[in-house]
Amino acid sequence: MASIARPMLLRQCCNASAARAALRPSTFRSITPLARQPLKSQFVRDTLPISSRVAAFHAEGRKAILPPLPQRVEGTTNDPVHIPSPSPSHGSYHWTAERVIAAALIPLTVAPFAGASLNPVTDGILCALLVAHSHIGFQACIIDYFPTWRVPGVRKGLNWVLNISTVIVLIGLYEFETNDVGIVEAVKRVWKA
Amino acid sequence: MAALRTSTTRLLQATRVSQPIWRRAFASVEPVGAAGQTTTTANRPVVPESKTSTVKEPVVDKDAKIKSFHIYRWNPDEPTSKPRMQTYTLDLNKTGPMVLDALIRIKNEVDPTLTFRRSCREGICGSCAMNIDGVNTLACLCRIPTDTAKETRIYPLPHTYVVKDLVPDMTLFYKQYRSIKPYLQRDTPPPDGRENRQSQAERRKLDGLYECILCACCSTSCPSYWWNTEEYLGPAVLLQSYRWIADSRDEKTEERKDALNNGMSLYRCHTILNCSRTCPKGLNPALAIAEIKKSMAFS
Amino acid sequence: MLAQRSLQQSVRRLAAQQPGRIGITRFAAPAAIATGHAMPQWRQVTTQNVSQDTDILAKQRLHRPVAPHLGIYRPQITWIPSMFNRITGLMLSGPLYLFSMAYLVAPLMGWHLESQSIAAAFGALPVIAKVGVKGLIAWPFTFHSLNGVRHLMWDFALGFKNKTVAQTGWTVVGLSAVTAIALALM
Repeated sequence: MASIARPMLLRQCCNASAARAALRPSTFRSITPLARQPLKSQFVRDTLPISSRVAAFHAEGRKAILPPLPQRVEGTTNDPVHIPSPSPSHGSYHWTAERVIAAALIPLTVAPFAGASLNPVTDGILCALLVAHSHIGFQACIIDYFPTWRVPGVRKGLNWVLNISTVIVLIGLYEFETNDVGIVEAVKRVWKA
Repeated sequence: MAALRTSTTRLLQATRVSQPIWRRAFASVEPVGAAGQTTTTANRPVVPESKTSTVKEPVVDKDAKIKSFHIYRWNPDEPTSKPRMQTYTLDLNKTGPMVLDALIRIKNEVDPTLTFRRSCREGICGSCAMNIDGVNTLACLCRIPTDTAKETRIYPLPHTYVVKDLVPDMTLFYKQYRSIKPYLQRDTPPPDGRENRQSQAERRKLDGLYECILCACCSTSCPSYWWNTEEYLGPAVLLQSYRWIADSRDEKTEERKDALNNGMSLYRCHTILNCSRTCPKGLNPALAIAEIKKSMAFS
Repeated sequence: MLAQRSLQQSVRRLAAQQPGRIGITRFAAPAAIATGHAMPQWRQVTTQNVSQDTDILAKQRLHRPVAPHLGIYRPQITWIPSMFNRITGLMLSGPLYLFSMAYLVAPLMGWHLESQSIAAAFGALPVIAKVGVKGLIAWPFTFHSLNGVRHLMWDFALGFKNKTVAQTGWTVVGLSAVTAIALALM
């Protein structure tokens, strides 16, 4: 689209400048006293070329990833939007759980820096909380950027991918926790290497 | 049809020939060369410009503060054409202090096709909400930045459907406002049969909420609202919802909270805080949303 | 052509409906008006009903562009850190997910992802690469953690004043940078 629009714009600019030149031939300008006066009013500045004054809109140079659909309005203008039925598991409980997990991560994150070493149990709890926190975070991204009313298939697919990968990650981290030194100790080891 | 056409042309020809008085007389300009010759060869002195011209051209002001405004344009009469930015220049010395003054002046004097909403010019109607220099605000409350080196860019409210130029479509916003039932809901009459009364402390809870004029500056500044306009209610509507949740006279508080208790309506708020930052009335929609979330935390 | 035909039709209809009166009305219209026998008006075009108007509106809506948003909104201390909060979260959780899944399939694929072998591989890197990689992990970690504290504070409805938000925001930016550099050099 842009490749079509640009030559058209160029042509319009050329035409416009040609028209302006034709309007003011140099002979007319030099002889008649009227032409010496500015024909345009003062607030139209003439220094800018016309092409830059009327520029095509290029604020979004990149192509939008998920461009919004053409506008449709459900029902008449006087109807309220649909109110979803209450579901605390997606609403208030979900929110509270999210905050509790995030708050619980604070002491477990600070403890290793304070010099305390985590025993396998607390290390395992840290892993589980990290995975839960990550899962909720990924889920929020999917909900935000892939709305059901826009891309229902992609949304469903991504949710499945996320759920399955979270299960795999939990198993993998369990393996790591049981066979290796634990996540905090591992990070420490790599950091000091 | 053909017969009709020939007859009318014949009629027109007849009138033209027989009645030359009907022909309109146009002012004719002599050819350029001839005009030059007459002024130079004739013996009479050259008449100064001040005596020939009846229209006084504006004098070029030496200390004019010329500022350019880039304004978003889109015309619904040409639906296939893309939106574009158009530049207007104004002398700030001759313009009022606010952006709305500049817009009105552009519309009056430069381009009457420029379209925008305005009404009260004092920040109480919320009509002139638009994106000025990247921030949503009311044009009537926003001073024109006096730095003339920088251009001012004016867009409609972000991520809204554009009706024309700076006019956004607010249908969905008002439908969402309607969905929160913005009115007092009570089943029991007041005990003394008079008005529904509340204490001063209860009334004070509504300060910072009732002043909202629903200009939609905050909602359209919220990235969450951009991506989920259809389902997330947005800061303005949630602030209004909290205005009724916080009202001691309202008896449907739990129903109001239930209506918000789902994944989308309220909880798409990620405390980005663009809403509070941009509110032209100095209100705090983010705080209102946080209060709703807090009161719903264990329900 | 059309105009002529419609005229013809309307005259015919007039004649059919008012056979007696047509003569009078044609030749003595003022009299007919005066006596109350004026010709009734005919409207050839049917009036539009309201639903057709909304159809037009619905069609217009389909052409409307969406006003620019992310590209034109001024970068502010509110939404830029919020954006980075999400990005840094993904930068931490993504590698965690990838590593855990890789660790599970490592025995099958013959990879060595035990902490000892990773540490050994990492230790073999040049110092600049080590500091770079550490910084690339440390900054998302410090930023997301510190901003997370700010978010928890907001969840208790604290610190919502515009000024406070800007102050805490810049504090988090500065602190996260300093701590990230410190961690990277550790």
